[in-house]
Amino acid sequence: MTTIPLTIPFGSQDFTALFPCFIVACGALLVLLLDLLFPASLRRGWSILIALATLGIAGVSALNGWGEPISVFANAFVTGSLTVAFEEIVVIGAALSMLLMYTAGRDDQAAGAIALLLWSASGAMLMAGASNLMVVFLGLELLSLGLYCLCGFVTRRVAREAALKYLLLSSTASAVMLYGMALLFGATGSVDFNALALPSASPVMFDLGVGLFLVGLAFKLSLVPFHEWTPDVYAGAPLPVTAFMSVVTKAGALAVLIRFVGALPPNISDQLVQPLWVVAGLSMIVGNVGALAQTDLKRLLAYSGIAQLGYIVAALAVRNDNGLYSAIFYLAAYTFMNLGAFAVAALLSRDEEEGTHLASFRGLSGRKPLLAGAMTFFLLGLAGIPPTAGFTGKVLILANTIGAGFVNLAVLLVIGTAISFYAYLKIVRLMYAPSFGQGVNVVVPRSRLPWIAIAVCAVAVLVLALHPIVPTGSFATLKSEVKDRVSVQSAY
Amino acid sequence: MIWPLVLVPFLVGLSIFAFPRRADALATGVGIFVALGTLVATVLLSSAPDETLPWITRPSFPFASSFHVGLGSGLSFWLVLLTALTSACALLTTTTQVPRRRDFVAWMVLLQGAMTGVFVARDLLMFALFWDLMLIPVFVILIGWSAGHRASAWRYLLYNGSAGLLLLIAVAAYGITTGSTDVLSVSVTYLKGNPLGPMEAWLFIGFALAFLVKTPVWPFHTWMPTTYADLPAPAVAVVSAVQSKAGLYGFLAVTTMVFPAATHVVAPVMIVLGTVGVVAGAFAALVQTDVKRIVAYSSLSHLGLILAAIFTFDPIALSGAVVYMIAHGLFSAALFLTLGSVEQRTETRLLRRMGGLGIRNPRLAGALVISALAALGLPGLCGFAGEILILTGLFRSGAVWPTMLALVATVAAAAYMLRLFQGIMHGPEAADLPQRSDLQWAEGLALVPLVLGMVWLGINPSVIARAVPASASLSMDAHTPAPYDTAAFPSVVPPATEALR
Repeated sequence: MTTIPLTIPFGSQDFTALFPCFIVACGALLVLLLDLLFPASLRRGWSILIALATLGIAGVSALNGWGEPISVFANAFVTGSLTVAFEEIVVIGAALSMLLMYTAGRDDQAAGAIALLLWSASGAMLMAGASNLMVVFLGLELLSLGLYCLCGFVTRRVAREAALKYLLLSSTASAVMLYGMALLFGATGSVDFNALALPSASPVMFDLGVGLFLVGLAFKLSLVPFHEWTPDVYAGAPLPVTAFMSVVTKAGALAVLIRFVGALPPNISDQLVQPLWVVAGLSMIVGNVGALAQTDLKRLLAYSGIAQLGYIVAALAVRNDNGLYSAIFYLAAYTFMNLGAFAVAALLSRDEEEGTHLASFRGLSGRKPLLAGAMTFFLLGLAGIPPTAGFTGKVLILANTIGAGFVNLAVLLVIGTAISFYAYLKIVRLMYAPSFGQGVNVVVPRSRLPWIAIAVCAVAVLVLALHPIVPTGSFATLKSEVKDRVSVQSAY
Repeated sequence: MIWPLVLVPFLVGLSIFAFPRRADALATGVGIFVALGTLVATVLLSSAPDETLPWITRPSFPFASSFHVGLGSGLSFWLVLLTALTSACALLTTTTQVPRRRDFVAWMVLLQGAMTGVFVARDLLMFALFWDLMLIPVFVILIGWSAGHRASAWRYLLYNGSAGLLLLIAVAAYGITTGSTDVLSVSVTYLKGNPLGPMEAWLFIGFALAFLVKTPVWPFHTWMPTTYADLPAPAVAVVSAVQSKAGLYGFLAVTTMVFPAATHVVAPVMIVLGTVGVVAGAFAALVQTDVKRIVAYSSLSHLGLILAAIFTFDPIALSGAVVYMIAHGLFSAALFLTLGSVEQRTETRLLRRMGGLGIRNPRLAGALVISALAALGLPGLCGFAGEILILTGLFRSGAVWPTMLALVATVAAAAYMLRLFQGIMHGPEAADLPQRSDLQWAEGLALVPLVLGMVWLGINPSVIARAVPASASLSMDAHTPAPYDTAAFPSVVPPATEALR
């Protein structure tokens, strides 16, 4: 009788690859532990500090993965430039939302909220590199479960409503997605993305699985026609949570979308191009038209987010390396512009009331010229007016979509942008029109931390506009990753 | 060294917002200093070489773009000078005319930077960037300082923003087709063969619509009267003097260079649009009751004439177009600044409620009459120099009917300008006029360089007449054969200038 030596099948390389994700999750535990030690008045500040430090470490350590894609944990997770780009966006989005945490909830609840936010971020980071249906689901649930609680962690009635609405709708979407995964597993006999590229036993089951999976993703990305929940949830959730959701959830789901579509067999991903661009075009138009009539900044940014995701998916519908590059560039630009706008709203918030009603921007240029200037800059960015990253990003997307022959998509993008001018510049008008003494009382913010977020975002939006060079190296992951997988698979 | 011409106004404009709230005089002083500094620097830099910084350089990306600026000594040079001069003059009048001056000055300085950027850009994408950037200061001034209804701001934005997006999409498509957007420099050997092919028509339409709306040209002008009427006088002086030239500059220096064939093909259409504008603007100006709208419609008429002149591609008409662009900048700025002073004294813009203002304001009356005479084309002033060249060129190129109609419009110009002047200054003194002093020194000083410019350009137009972009004066025959080597350019420059001697 031979003894089988007990070995851990995974080496240090596997754990290194997941280190950024682990460290964020551990940071959440640290926040909860240290919360017991500090007096109530200091808890929130220390928790934010620890969270930022953790995210900083995660952000720096994630950079190690830059380069050629490497599969770890038996091909459940892939590192490489693509993963790193999304991980960085998640980390930046989480860190910037963390700076807004003073606007929501009581001091003694803050640590819990911050820990949940960190866990959600680690879920999104897991999604950034997931190349296995189970890991996708794991990341997605880690992300969503935290957010369900976070939506309702303040005592406002709308927040509870938002939490319940998000829980019901999002878990339905998760269920749809899970059903799709089950069908894919049935068709291919594997949960590995690699297996998707192989001929499947039952094409009908496979197609149905792909469709359901993508519907679930479209819900998470709040693409038309699965966008209805977004404005209500965004409006009800506490401000930092909305800020987090608007960027981090999208980043995670986009990474999955890119990997998943890239892993499909060519004939199926070719068929997907048309639905993708129809969805993208609809999102641009519906999102921007919906934003026109909004009177609350969070609802407006929710509709704007639908449109912006439409632009990004439009960039992805062109399946080449530049499309990928411009999508990631635009996502980064959107992160900074959007979170900058949220940070401005955070500085206008009082204890009981968030400063997101558009009325609180009336006459802002007279009361707080710097804040009004920053808000104008971010809104110009969202509208795609120079000199902002939004402008450069739109140029990149336009150039690439036209270059690939999707002229109708480019035209839709331009029409959507023209509509969005009114939605965004409406706020600029409120800020700069003479207010004749109807201005809102000057609000003393609970913390000046959002200023840091504003400064970071403003600098980033400007720098990305003038120097749109994401570090050297390409995101040529799709083809090479898929090719590697196929060769790995055929070796089995 | 050309970069500071664009960057300094931006940096200064932004830092003016940081001045103390009551530092109106300081802000104005700094703004004027920047404008005059730009003026002097432009003259000093007139022969500076082009400068390039990389922008979009991703190797696998369909095209490369760079921040490429150049001044040359041609049209860009004169338009940058005009921008700086009118900015300085307009800012000088803000001392008496504008509330919340610090912010207003800041936006005006930003506007100056954006307009300078349009004229020095040698890269199409950079051109589009500054083109869109011009929107924002005007929009904010319209909402913050508008005298009238809010709708004008939205109408301005809707027209110009949509047109700007068309320009952007066309630039992106151009970049993909040719691989680079850095093409507005003569030193670049561009357009090998016919790289655009069937795309050319669509791309040209994108450019042309943006230019037609911005100028504006009939029938894309409906944003203009409300915008011009609602903008405060110093802002409308700059917008009318310079921003309207951006579209014409686009046709003269950009489309002739990147879409030579399409530009020549649409010439008859453009001449017709311009001529309709000439006549429609002139007759609309005859019946307006708001003094600023009279000048707004007269601008429509004058700009239409320039457009028609550009698209004859006749050397004389092109020289006339360039002269008249600068001339229109000078006299329309002077007219709007004077009307601002008038409005301040009468507290109305309605012609029928004015009258007899000249009795107590002789200096103001003098300023208005000189500007009005330049606008109606009195020989010896700049308007005449431009008009006579344009009409000669139009006629010579065979566009007989447009010439005849333009002559009718010239007569109408005399009618509406004199109606404007008489209605404000002559007749019985309006009984309810508040007692105000005559033209103050700042207002007067602001008009001096403009008036001097009008006279100087009236007697010596040949300096500017030579500034026709080389690509515009190439004939269609020179364009159609495949090779567009730069050696072709020098041989075609002389006719424009020799015709004048």
